[in-house]
Amino acid sequence: MANHPSLTGVATESHAVPNHAAEYANRVPAPEGYWHIALPRWGYSFLLEKRALAVNIGLLIALLAACLLYLSLGNVPLAPSAVIPAVLGKGDMMTAFMVQELRLPRLIAACFTGAAFALSGILMQTLARNRLATPGIIGIDNGATAFAVASIVGMGVSIAPPAMALAGATTAAVLTFGLAAGSGTQGYRFIVAGIGVGAVFGAITQLMLAQVAIDTANAAYPWTVGSLNARPGGAVQLLGIGLALGIVAALALARSLSLLRFKDATASGLGVRVKARRLQVLMLSVVLTAFAVAVAGPVGMVALIGPEIARSLSRARHVPILAATLAGALVMLLADLAGRTLFAPVEIPVGIVTAVVGGPWLIWILMRPQRSRP
Amino acid sequence: MKDAVTSLPSAVSSASRRYAPRTWMLILLTALVAVSVVSLLIGAGEVGPRRVLGLLQNASDSEAQFIVWELRAPRTLIGIAVGISLGVAGALLQAISRNPLAEPGLLGVSAGAAFAVALALVLGASAATLRISVAQLGALVGCICVLSVARFRGVGNDPVRLVLAGAAFSGLLGSLTSLMLLYDQRAADEIRFWVVGSLAGRRLDDLVAVLPSLLVAAIAVVVMARPLAALALGERAASGLGHHPTLIRWVAVGCVALLVGAATAIAGPIAFVGLVVPFVARAFAGPDIRRTLWFCLPIGPLIVLTADIISRVVVAPSELPLGVLTALCGAPVLIAVVRAKRLPML
Repeated sequence: MANHPSLTGVATESHAVPNHAAEYANRVPAPEGYWHIALPRWGYSFLLEKRALAVNIGLLIALLAACLLYLSLGNVPLAPSAVIPAVLGKGDMMTAFMVQELRLPRLIAACFTGAAFALSGILMQTLARNRLATPGIIGIDNGATAFAVASIVGMGVSIAPPAMALAGATTAAVLTFGLAAGSGTQGYRFIVAGIGVGAVFGAITQLMLAQVAIDTANAAYPWTVGSLNARPGGAVQLLGIGLALGIVAALALARSLSLLRFKDATASGLGVRVKARRLQVLMLSVVLTAFAVAVAGPVGMVALIGPEIARSLSRARHVPILAATLAGALVMLLADLAGRTLFAPVEIPVGIVTAVVGGPWLIWILMRPQRSRP
Repeated sequence: MKDAVTSLPSAVSSASRRYAPRTWMLILLTALVAVSVVSLLIGAGEVGPRRVLGLLQNASDSEAQFIVWELRAPRTLIGIAVGISLGVAGALLQAISRNPLAEPGLLGVSAGAAFAVALALVLGASAATLRISVAQLGALVGCICVLSVARFRGVGNDPVRLVLAGAAFSGLLGSLTSLMLLYDQRAADEIRFWVVGSLAGRRLDDLVAVLPSLLVAAIAVVVMARPLAALALGERAASGLGHHPTLIRWVAVGCVALLVGAATAIAGPIAFVGLVVPFVARAFAGPDIRRTLWFCLPIGPLIVLTADIISRVVVAPSELPLGVLTALCGAPVLIAVVRAKRLPML
């Protein structure tokens, strides 16, 4: 947990001779708010920020509590005490069936998609140095949706939705970045170019839905607003694998990410290969978005809210990758829970819940005087 | 692609220098008449141009007669009205916010109108009676909300940030609208085909019902044209010339609400028309708002009717929502404006 290599003066030190690390750890006191963790056997030592650790553990506990709540509430309320054995396959048949077959898969899908959206959001925000530049806002979600809907309504292609979503997300990213190339990836022009690209893909989605039979269109509809109801088989597993690899890759990139927030010149002066890292971060973000869209459709705003929560909680100098991921999963879970239960028996697609909550938040961010960069 | 997008406005404006504005106006009006005729001739169904032209010789083809006069003629007239309303509203909104990206659809004014209508339906009003005034009220509230965000510190200085605020606002209202429709099946059935934005199946009565508000708005715009042109010189210059900037703004906001509300009440929320029309009109007319407004009159209907004709033909025998087509041709214009080296400040 939370072993972000820190940026402060005595940053990551690795030595060939094991004893040096231990000596170093003993000799140099850790900065305030940090623990100095030394692993002499591997010749490695790093600073662990206390606050980051606390935030991550807190978010994890909140996420577990939300999971319990998610499994308990629904059309048939269950007691939390009955849910835990049911997850493990014990308890009475009916409860076990309901938990294991109905709620648990959806819970896993919600956690995975929320985590993937938020992770890809914080990557994109850091890349663009703009807290509003989330994949949903710059049109990548819509690109992925358009292509995935094309595969669902069968526009002459029979490629699985995740692959199509990946193709669409890549297309949209290339278009947005290409079209905004003149004005750079910073600033709001880039974002409005993305809004334009997103509008085109949204219209293409509508175009395809208008052409097919009403039943097919209805089948594809939850997708266009973002819902956990229609989860194409296999997509969740793929997302799980992609998410695990993505978190590892993002943590490996963490140091470069922190430095990418500075000017290009500063970052490359500190030893970051800016262009290569940018491309890696962008690809990671696009892939995560595409896989998440393939499961749940374009659920907006999670990519905005998750990182925002993580940043305000951790107040850190680093990029709070793990905290954003956890917060994203938490937000998605709570939003889907609200959508399932608030207006029961009518079920509100999770994308609508997040848009209703996230819209005012976005406006507030826009109106707030700008103090800090992401 | 890159050159085509960026050189479009400059190509049009260099072409506009070749002829006098009056000549261009005549050309545009001729084009508008031609497009209107095509709109009568072409449809998604079986009644093609030949059968319609046959009506001129013998009037025995009752099916063609019905389709042309009962369906296509009202639709064409409504298209003209919607095009004029949205185009003029866009030009007004851009003039008072001094922002070339301000557009009723992008800024959430149309979404406000749609939301108000959906709310009224869910609360139990029947569709036809209240729709227009409710839509206009919603448009007014949406307009005031988004412009007050724009006057907030920071946002107003940056044209592009206003668009983002508008996108957030209309996204929020859109979600709330679909939330209500999800909850109320009856209302959903009543306006399902309206919320997507289309000219199909609208009757002449709808147009007659909005005519009074269009007339009021037209008179106000004629009176406002000079003060608006003065306002383009800056607030101080405008007050020095004897105008009241605040009053001008409020009247313009009222006009936008009347126009957008009326257009939305008939055709549903249609985005991007209010962006494209003033953009093209400015290329012909130059920076003067008075000329721009005049050029919006033929260009608005021209664009809406063309999009409508395409929407009938492209997926015949079914039809495409008009909003889809306007987004497809409007978004590139948005990107072109944003890509310009220096954003044209109005």
